[in-house]
Amino acid sequence: MPADPYQTLGVKKDAPQEAIQKAYRRLAKKFHPDLNPGNKQAEERFKEISLAYDLLGDPDKRARFDRGEIDASGAERPRQRFYRDFADADGGNPYSSSAGFADFINSDDFLSDIFRGRGSANLRMRGQDVHYRLELDFLDAINGGKQQLTLPDGSVLDVAIPPGTRDGQILRLRGKGRPGIGGGPSGDALIEIHVRPHRIFTRKGDDIHVDLPITLRDAVLGAKVKVPTPSGEVSMTVPRWANTGTVLRLKGQGVPRPGGSRGDEYVTVKVMLPEKPDPELEKFIAQWQPLAAEREREATRL
Amino acid sequence: METREFLSAARIDVGAMTAWIEAGWLAPHCKSGEFLDIDVARAQLIRDLTDIGVNDEGIPVILNLVDQLHGLRRALHEVLVAVRAQPEARRGGIPSRPSRSY
Repeated sequence: MPADPYQTLGVKKDAPQEAIQKAYRRLAKKFHPDLNPGNKQAEERFKEISLAYDLLGDPDKRARFDRGEIDASGAERPRQRFYRDFADADGGNPYSSSAGFADFINSDDFLSDIFRGRGSANLRMRGQDVHYRLELDFLDAINGGKQQLTLPDGSVLDVAIPPGTRDGQILRLRGKGRPGIGGGPSGDALIEIHVRPHRIFTRKGDDIHVDLPITLRDAVLGAKVKVPTPSGEVSMTVPRWANTGTVLRLKGQGVPRPGGSRGDEYVTVKVMLPEKPDPELEKFIAQWQPLAAEREREATRL
Repeated sequence: METREFLSAARIDVGAMTAWIEAGWLAPHCKSGEFLDIDVARAQLIRDLTDIGVNDEGIPVILNLVDQLHGLRRALHEVLVAVRAQPEARRGGIPSRPSRSY
């Protein structure tokens, strides 16, 4: 049984017509479904209010209702669907406006696609990049090779280290980051390389620098010596009378470059006295007269 | 639907229909005499607004806001559908995270 229309509108039975209209308008504004698109109950309330006003808004009908000639259900008329039912429907809405959020469309992410009305409801996004840190031995970085990075979940990442990799360089492994969403591409793994220093080699740019200790005898007479390089031992001629600090260049024995060439290795000679004192040498030096050398040293003394 | 059916369903006369199309309250496609269900519903909304006391100045203001509202509802709904379709673990992880090292 429908409720009492006077009660529905909240007016007294002897209320004047204007009061009834005023009451209807106040309630209709409040409960009209199109002014409350998110409120499911609004439709029920609004139907009640419309029905009540249908009976009481017209003075003749109201009189007949008051006399009991018609009852509240007599005024029933099928209420149409409301605008909100069409506006929210899937088929699209020729009146729909994106002006209410045009300021949120600012980039090419999936949200902007949806807001522009282009994207489907599928979330599709590139996966996030993941950052790692990898320490390498000096020679592994210079010569390159394969390294394995073990992740906390137990899986293993194979990393190809390019020859000549530098300290602080970031290697990017495409597609090895977090998986994408909704079929989007995976992100990348970004690996920051830290190169451990070497006991004897130093890298400067594409060149390798190393100190070479040589014997007094080799320094005076010259010699063929073995010199370490990143790719192994190399034979080198030390010229006679090579003083400490002499720098000798081994071309192409430095760091590999992307184009295929290599930098150079610079060998700095360090003349070493024998480890233990040699009595014969001491005896010889004691009676040796380095006249010419002495004069030279005077001349160069600051 | 054609004009006659539209006028009957919307319960307005030709004068009102013409005026509302002129004013832009009904979509331009209505000019060609081809009407959609949504056009009927929109015409009824305009009548309802008039019944509750909105004057001619107020009608377009309200219609514009209602249209923006529905645009927002649609966009929000699409985002919600997309987010809800994601596995439970993903939903918390959409904001970006800093790096880690080994």
